[in-house]
Amino acid sequence: MSDNHQNNYLTYPRGIMSWVLTLDHKRIGLMYLFGGMFFFFLAGVIALGMRLALATPEADFITNDQYNSMYTLHGAIMIFLFIIPAIPGALGNMLLPLMIGARDVAFPRLNLLSFYLYSLGAVFVIYTILAGGVDTGWTFYTPYSTTSTTNVIPMTLGIFVIGFSSILTGLNFIATIHKMRISGLTWYKLPLFVWALYGTSLVQITATPVIAITMVLLILERLLGIGIFDPALGGDPVLFQHFFWFYSHPAVYIMILPAFGIISEIIPVHSRKKIWGYKFIAYSTLSIAFIGFLVWGHHMFTSGQSVFSQIVFSFITYFVGIPTGIKIFSWMLTMYKGQVSFTPPMLYALSFLFLFTIGGLTGIFLGAVALDIHLHDTYFVVAHFHYVMQGGTIIAFLGGLHHWWPKTFGAMYNQTIANICAIGVFIGFNGTFFPQFLLGLRGMPRRYATYAQEYAEIHSYSTFWSLVLGLFIFIAVVNLLWSLRKNNKLDPGTNPWGALTMEWTHTTSPPHPHNFEEEPVLTHGPYDYDKVIVKPTFKK
Amino acid sequence: MSEHHHIIPLKIYFIVAGILFFLTGVTVWVSYIDLGFLNIVIALLIAGTKATIVALFFMHLLWDDKKNLIAFVLSLMFLAIFMIITMSDTEFRGAINPEIKDPINKRAAFYDSLPLTDDHGNPIHEDGSHESGDKDDHH
Amino acid sequence: MSHNKSSPDFLYHHFYDVNQQYETSKLGMWGFILTEVLTFGALFVAYTVYRAWNPDMFINANLLLDVNKGLINTIVLIGSSLTMALAIWAIQLKKKKLSLIMLFVTFICAAIFLGIKYLEYEHKFHLGQLPGEYYSYMGPEIANMNNPHIFFSIYFIMTGLHGLHVAIGMGLIAWLMYLTARDKLHSAYYTPMELVGIFWHLVDIIWIFLFPLFYLIG
Repeated sequence: MSDNHQNNYLTYPRGIMSWVLTLDHKRIGLMYLFGGMFFFFLAGVIALGMRLALATPEADFITNDQYNSMYTLHGAIMIFLFIIPAIPGALGNMLLPLMIGARDVAFPRLNLLSFYLYSLGAVFVIYTILAGGVDTGWTFYTPYSTTSTTNVIPMTLGIFVIGFSSILTGLNFIATIHKMRISGLTWYKLPLFVWALYGTSLVQITATPVIAITMVLLILERLLGIGIFDPALGGDPVLFQHFFWFYSHPAVYIMILPAFGIISEIIPVHSRKKIWGYKFIAYSTLSIAFIGFLVWGHHMFTSGQSVFSQIVFSFITYFVGIPTGIKIFSWMLTMYKGQVSFTPPMLYALSFLFLFTIGGLTGIFLGAVALDIHLHDTYFVVAHFHYVMQGGTIIAFLGGLHHWWPKTFGAMYNQTIANICAIGVFIGFNGTFFPQFLLGLRGMPRRYATYAQEYAEIHSYSTFWSLVLGLFIFIAVVNLLWSLRKNNKLDPGTNPWGALTMEWTHTTSPPHPHNFEEEPVLTHGPYDYDKVIVKPTFKK
Repeated sequence: MSEHHHIIPLKIYFIVAGILFFLTGVTVWVSYIDLGFLNIVIALLIAGTKATIVALFFMHLLWDDKKNLIAFVLSLMFLAIFMIITMSDTEFRGAINPEIKDPINKRAAFYDSLPLTDDHGNPIHEDGSHESGDKDDHH
Repeated sequence: MSHNKSSPDFLYHHFYDVNQQYETSKLGMWGFILTEVLTFGALFVAYTVYRAWNPDMFINANLLLDVNKGLINTIVLIGSSLTMALAIWAIQLKKKKLSLIMLFVTFICAAIFLGIKYLEYEHKFHLGQLPGEYYSYMGPEIANMNNPHIFFSIYFIMTGLHGLHVAIGMGLIAWLMYLTARDKLHSAYYTPMELVGIFWHLVDIIWIFLFPLFYLIG
């Protein structure tokens, strides 16, 4: 072991094949990080193109068909190639074993396979883009998806393959969390990010198989005309929606639970205070994971499903907001009387609290059948899910990147620029999406390339602020990458935020290839800021 | 350093297999008796029993760490949720607007152009003669 | 921290001991079983929905299936489950040759299952009892059936997916035979055989439900 004493996982082992065939969870995490960021930017550029097209009521430079392809690709790429895989794949892979004192995840080879399946699925998606796109919407509703002449099959095959990547990651994390903790690390001493990954993984393995078989059925329907979703052949298109949303609603919890976990890590550290309501947060994670499986029909209120099921779904949807609310209160109570420092991670966490609350509450509005009948397929829904997915998950992801960047790379970015970008992102985001609630309430439908003149003014504001949002996200990421230049390395023992979880206190920055130099011994709980004095070992 | 695992006694394997074969016979026998809707209930109960003893004995769940059993039970629970709530839609359509209760198309259109066939799948012509050999066209 | 020289060669470096590795592998496999239950489960949901909407058609269409072939397949598959379990029993007791024989018998049973399935499918193709718009069988029973292609669509998808799993299982069993013959599996380490066994029993359980639901209705 002494030959790689001075080395970390980035520098040892050397050579391109040591990365291609790596079994090191940290390297796999990095590959997910860069893959995910690439697709985030690709889908983001498509979104900016959509916003430019929507700046004026007519279809000036994009036809209706092209626009249909753009929102389908934007949605599918963001959801399947970035939001679902990114936090578990990048941050989860990087940090989970470190947080529990393990040398790797339970099944390292499956982990690498997960990444290659993600890449293979991505190839299918890129092929779809190059072959002219697909215009069904990311929801692939039948009967249009079974009859559309665009590239439905390559795209759905890609999603099928990516689904297996997600399942394998979930299996890996569940086994790791159950069986690979060091002795003394009981469940209630785990960092809450680990609880979040656990809840996410349970949802991943339970829900994703259903989207896999749904995509297979869709492909069979297209290829062979088996008629399972075709009313002309005695099939039922609403059954497709049941199958699709049985996965896709829990999928949104796959997207948000890891983000909740990141916030649970950032707030105690940057408030230098013990988390309030540890068990509330832990159990609410499991409740959200479970209740999330009972509410999928709230995406189908206008589909023609039975009134009885409308009532069932609406009623249960109201319950899913309760555990989430409990978390928000817990985080706020954590900050109360703490020593809050306005570092970039903290600014993103504060943005999250504000933006996710708006997103979550508007989701509850949509859970009322009577309201949803009017708001379904309008910009109100678009604004709602962007507030939770972007204002929630992506903001939390950026916060997590800023928080764990020094650990992952042993480098610190310019915190002033990062703070300015965090504020710019917050302002740009609200400017882009808050007006869209108003558009939706006034009746602007979603997935329309052209619209009535009355919506033009609000659309133009939304487009302007979307460019601001895009600019600040871009600068934030460039700022992070700029920190990776040579001669900007931190001392390997640094703990810039003074955090207490094991990935900070027991490993170097960046970590050793095998994570721990010696067998890690648990000396304190993850949030014991009231018991342990830890000085941050880096000054701005 | 070998694993000290529980070894199932040989006779348990054969008893379980015997029960499985027996229940298979029962389920075939019962299917020939008309009991109305009870047929499906009994069939599922027998299948469920067979599946349970395969899981508990052949798959070793009776002696394993309880987490494995919980994983299996959870999978069935989520399947039940999926099935029951989906059926709460498909079985209760048409409460407010009865016209959506039945499918729009009671019979797929392509049947109208299919000729009647004998029980070998060969089309029967109007005059009652059969085409022999493999049919090579279908709609 | 690192394993010493007395660590067995089947112990992966990130596990502390053999027991942790064994229990973790089994837990992972059961997680995978969970995903398989939900994959097939979605198809059972489709079956249930369409059967509830077309109860008489399902009863009449199932009469077109050959109960005898289904019954033989059930017996063959249950038998293969027994031999798979016995293969594990044998290797636990250091009976390598018996274990290999049991694995081989399991493999043959799987092949018989697929062979009979092939005969069934071939017969249906011949008769025109096919999914969706390919359906063309209008025999004497047709008077009692409305939209029988629905039954055959679901039949082919479910038994097809199941058959695919049988085929995959055959590949895995062949791999186990190779490993056992080369002494990579033995009484101290036979985890892969247990994991494949769990998979194989799941394939059996799915057929245990498919058989009455398609062949023994009403």
